[in-house]
Amino acid sequence: MTIVRTVYTEANPGLAEGADPVVTEIIRQGLNAAADQMKQSLIRTAFSPIIYEALDFAVAFYDADLCMLAQAPTLPAFMGTLGFCVREAVDGVGGPAALASGDVILYNDPYGTGSHPQDAAMVVPIFHEDVLVGYSAIKAHWLDIGGKDPYCTDTVDVHQEGTIFPGVKLYDAGRLVTDIYRMILANSRMPEMVIGDINAMVAGARTGAEALAALVRRHGLDTFRRSVARMYAHGEALVRAWFERLPDGVYTADSVIDSDGVNQEPIPFGVTVTVDGSSVTVDLTDCPDQVGGPVNCPLPSTVAAVRIAVAFLAGAGEQPNEGHFRPLELVTRLGSLFHPVRPAPCFMYGIPSDHAIELIIRSLAEAVPDSVPAASGGDINALVWWGTREGTGEPWADGAPHPVGQGASRSADGASALMYISESATRFTPAEVWEARNPWRIERLALAADSGGPGRFRGGLGLDLSFRVLEDQYLTSGLARTALAPWGLEGGLPGRPNRLTVEYPDGRAEDFSLKTRVFLPKGAVVHLRTGSGGGYGPPSERDPEAVRADLREGYITPEHARRHYPHAF
Amino acid sequence: MTTVIGVDVGGTFTDLVLHDAATGEIRVAKQPTTPAAPELGVLAAVDAAVPAGLLARCAHFVHGTTVGLNALLESRGAAVGLITTRGFRDVLEIRRGDRDDPYDLFWTPPPPLVPRRLRAEASERVAADGSVVGGLDEDDVLRAARLFAEEGVEAVAIVLVNSYANPGHELRAAELLREAGFTGPVSLSHEVSGEYREYERTCTTVVDAFVRHRMGPYLHNLDRELRSRGFGGELLVTRSGGGALTLAEAAARPFETILSGPVAGAAATARLAATLGLGTAVAADVGGTSFDTALIEDGRLPLLYQGEVVGLPLQSPWVDVRSVGAGGGSIAYADSGGLLRVGPRSAGADPGPACYGRGGAEPTVTDAALHLGMIPAWHISGGIELSADAAADALAPLAGPTGIADADTVAEGVVRIAAAHMAQAVRGVTVERGVDARGAAIVAFGGAGPLFGCLIADELDVDTVVVPPNAGNFSAVGLVQADVVRSAARTLVRPLDADALPVIEGLAAALFDRLDGAGAVREVDLDLRHRGQEHTLTVPVRLEEDDVEAIGARFSAAYHRSFGHRLPDPLEVVTVRATTRVVLDADRPLVPAPPSGEAAGGATRLWSFRRRAWAEAPVLAREGFTGPAEGPLLVIEPTATTYVDAGFAVEAHGSGCLMITRKDRG
Repeated sequence: MTIVRTVYTEANPGLAEGADPVVTEIIRQGLNAAADQMKQSLIRTAFSPIIYEALDFAVAFYDADLCMLAQAPTLPAFMGTLGFCVREAVDGVGGPAALASGDVILYNDPYGTGSHPQDAAMVVPIFHEDVLVGYSAIKAHWLDIGGKDPYCTDTVDVHQEGTIFPGVKLYDAGRLVTDIYRMILANSRMPEMVIGDINAMVAGARTGAEALAALVRRHGLDTFRRSVARMYAHGEALVRAWFERLPDGVYTADSVIDSDGVNQEPIPFGVTVTVDGSSVTVDLTDCPDQVGGPVNCPLPSTVAAVRIAVAFLAGAGEQPNEGHFRPLELVTRLGSLFHPVRPAPCFMYGIPSDHAIELIIRSLAEAVPDSVPAASGGDINALVWWGTREGTGEPWADGAPHPVGQGASRSADGASALMYISESATRFTPAEVWEARNPWRIERLALAADSGGPGRFRGGLGLDLSFRVLEDQYLTSGLARTALAPWGLEGGLPGRPNRLTVEYPDGRAEDFSLKTRVFLPKGAVVHLRTGSGGGYGPPSERDPEAVRADLREGYITPEHARRHYPHAF
Repeated sequence: MTTVIGVDVGGTFTDLVLHDAATGEIRVAKQPTTPAAPELGVLAAVDAAVPAGLLARCAHFVHGTTVGLNALLESRGAAVGLITTRGFRDVLEIRRGDRDDPYDLFWTPPPPLVPRRLRAEASERVAADGSVVGGLDEDDVLRAARLFAEEGVEAVAIVLVNSYANPGHELRAAELLREAGFTGPVSLSHEVSGEYREYERTCTTVVDAFVRHRMGPYLHNLDRELRSRGFGGELLVTRSGGGALTLAEAAARPFETILSGPVAGAAATARLAATLGLGTAVAADVGGTSFDTALIEDGRLPLLYQGEVVGLPLQSPWVDVRSVGAGGGSIAYADSGGLLRVGPRSAGADPGPACYGRGGAEPTVTDAALHLGMIPAWHISGGIELSADAAADALAPLAGPTGIADADTVAEGVVRIAAAHMAQAVRGVTVERGVDARGAAIVAFGGAGPLFGCLIADELDVDTVVVPPNAGNFSAVGLVQADVVRSAARTLVRPLDADALPVIEGLAAALFDRLDGAGAVREVDLDLRHRGQEHTLTVPVRLEEDDVEAIGARFSAAYHRSFGHRLPDPLEVVTVRATTRVVLDADRPLVPAPPSGEAAGGATRLWSFRRRAWAEAPVLAREGFTGPAEGPLLVIEPTATTYVDAGFAVEAHGSGCLMITRKDRG
């Protein structure tokens, strides 16, 4: 059994001393603004809604030592995973010495990106007077890059999941490598969309590279390096100050993943969080060996899960940099669910990763009750649709996450219908845009009355969405947390789990959780009922006026009110 | 040319500017804003500065108001009822599922403007192509009417799915509501917006309904009061998308005025840029709490077609003015990680900066500027004597936790960080439009803008800074230069091909019919995109002469400029926009500065950021100043102080502007 400790150490000890605090702040702001410019450029030129609406991408800068300089607020699920990509991408093309100005490296190996081959990274090395000073990197979800299906929940090895580019130059010193370009085209079911997105990613990463180079030019390389070291020390101090407030101790929580998509068996796992002064160790070794279906979570995404939990708990609302993560140590077991090895399938890596985030937060409920809410609907509820349009014969595809209810807290009801925290910046596509684009009619887009877990504070409501399909098409359902109800805390009751039902034209109905390529004949209706938040505190302690207000507005029905809150009548 | 009054109601002060066409005279006045009844402050400013005879000669009274915005900020508007398509009553509450702060576990959206019990559903359905899939259930509308009567609903918003493509059901529902006896205002989504995206359109329509019942009475009351004082001209209200609306239009479409606050400054900059022939200009407006910036190209205002206010999206044209929390009142602090930070928290007008001596103990940007000599110690700001000692006392405690040597260095850092924030905001507005800021001229105005012009120029490698006359009141000057503008839009998703042009022409003609702009210039713009993309670029078209190729080439050029590449993919029309513009006074001159009356002359101890050292620097009065003179120096006028660093030279331009030129690259 091989135990792996992932830690973050200071790359250049002592460099921060003597850095001007004013210049450091100016550079810190400049880095965050440059990352934001890269993000805006990508959003505004991307072709696929997964990028421009769902914001299923990350943009970041790394320094020459592969420490994260800045990441624009996009998909938290990709938090910090780009560092692994950059390292592997650069190694793939022969290391830093093989890099030239104008290079763009393409990399999408799941064991280095942390996710599926659809999440492809573009890495651009940045030079200042011929010295490599860092990298701009974008990782974004392509609609399709081969694989057995456009979105897979039943793969048994990584090679079924898509074509892998293990760090290859798409641009070599500014010149397009047409062989690679043609390989991409030949391996995608939606080559036009993917090429559009590739162009957007290249343009975005280059925009970023220019912005970073300008920042280095303005301040000089030595000042830049010292200020960055000071900036990391600053990020580290912020997070350490927060952890310092936690009582030292060992905190645990455990839960169960529905299944691996291939073998219909529940997968139990647990987290152990050890707080020692201002340092925190997260242990994710309490889990099965890597499983046969695609819910294995490659190390970069396990790291991201820990980082997201920390950013939500302790980040003080700041855009994180490498320093924020220095107080953290992660312990994993090689060959396990949270640290799988090739060729374990990992297309649905987000299921264990997302689950771990909420569980890490929950483990600290006792230590910092004000900072820990009850469970949310707990999943991104990804649905991916595709088909061939009647009439024109054109292929089409679309995919999106869907919002869930949030857990109640010690002082407030949970919010209704927000994206799960790993996709918290993602926007939900308007029904009118969907209908203008896809052969659907949205028949219902509503909050689900009674769905919030009862409590002194109740959970946020889940969403009821009904799609009537107007042409034959296929659906892949990526739903997780369909069996486990969102937990309440301190006596609060659970909310409702996620559920997907297909109602066929002949009246038959069937539920799906992880299922690839469900055929939907014209006239079928897909009902998505997303999970709600758990309650906090005993329902008997809920303010009777709050119960009556919920009743008046129809957030709960009279039956539900009498059953859970008889004291209000 | 006509005589025009502009009155802008700000958060703290109500500013008045009058341009008398007969004499060329300029009058300005400033009165405290009266938030509970803003018309009182407006009338007080009129009474203070405008004799009755002069008021009677005014052709236009251009009003910038925050009544609509305040109604939203304070949630004081009408009790609104919403009628929507069955299955969609929660659109307003579901929003788009995102969080304002993506890293806040507990983030909760603000309560919707219409509570759930007042969101009524009607069975009906229109498809995206406008075809009717299900007829309107009229009983559902009548039931809603009864509910609204019982609940005391004052205004109704009707938003049906896909109504942008076919408004029949919305019109019929409104008719039924009237027949059922509802007499309050009714806002129909296809009239308010006409664009797709049901959450954004619902929000815009509900905001319209919510503020209308405050805006109409307010404007009519103000109009009546002005007329009773002898005013015989036309009352105009500034618009979020630039220009102004007539009173009747503003009362009927108040949502178009809500984001108009920062527009006047950008509009004044655009007019100035056109007059001086500045190809690319950046408005740099530094006020007490924020820095507002906009990119002006060839004298044109940068327009966007969706804005956001208090977290609510509005499908309405608005001038792309970006605001960051960096102004004179922005508070400096040392964060828990030991870095010096500035803003976005502000000391506001009360207690204000520490140097005001009104109980503010936290150091602000103004305190730092005073400490560095950028504001002369004897300068009186709004009748307040500034205390340099109080500023120094507030700044000194930041040295320890940040490891900075002393109060001088802290003050320098605070101003530099504030300037860097401002420069970042300018980079944002330029980079996103594919413009290199280095070729721009910075137009610095607002109470503190001229203090920062040189610093921002150095951050951005810009060589020219322009300080307009009346720099502190320059935004209000924008009001007296406004055109009368109306606009309407409709979403029409289809390929841009030869068949598209007649359809677009028909749609534009229908939109112009609604705009009723007698004697107006008509403008048509199209939102276009490459097929497969979602985001659009808006390009102007001339329907009588353009063919599809010409329109495509214009789009392609705009796309290349914004994003640096061209794509071969076919184009798609998304939205048709129609605008009418009546130009009131194309040749109204720049408003010169009023006499200074300022005690100037002599020298002061002034910090040079370029030299990182103190200097004995001259303090010059703006009135009578011709230059050229080389920094470091100060130029003072009643409403602003201009800081010129070493390495910059300043001279007065014939237009009345101060032109500052960077002599070396620092």
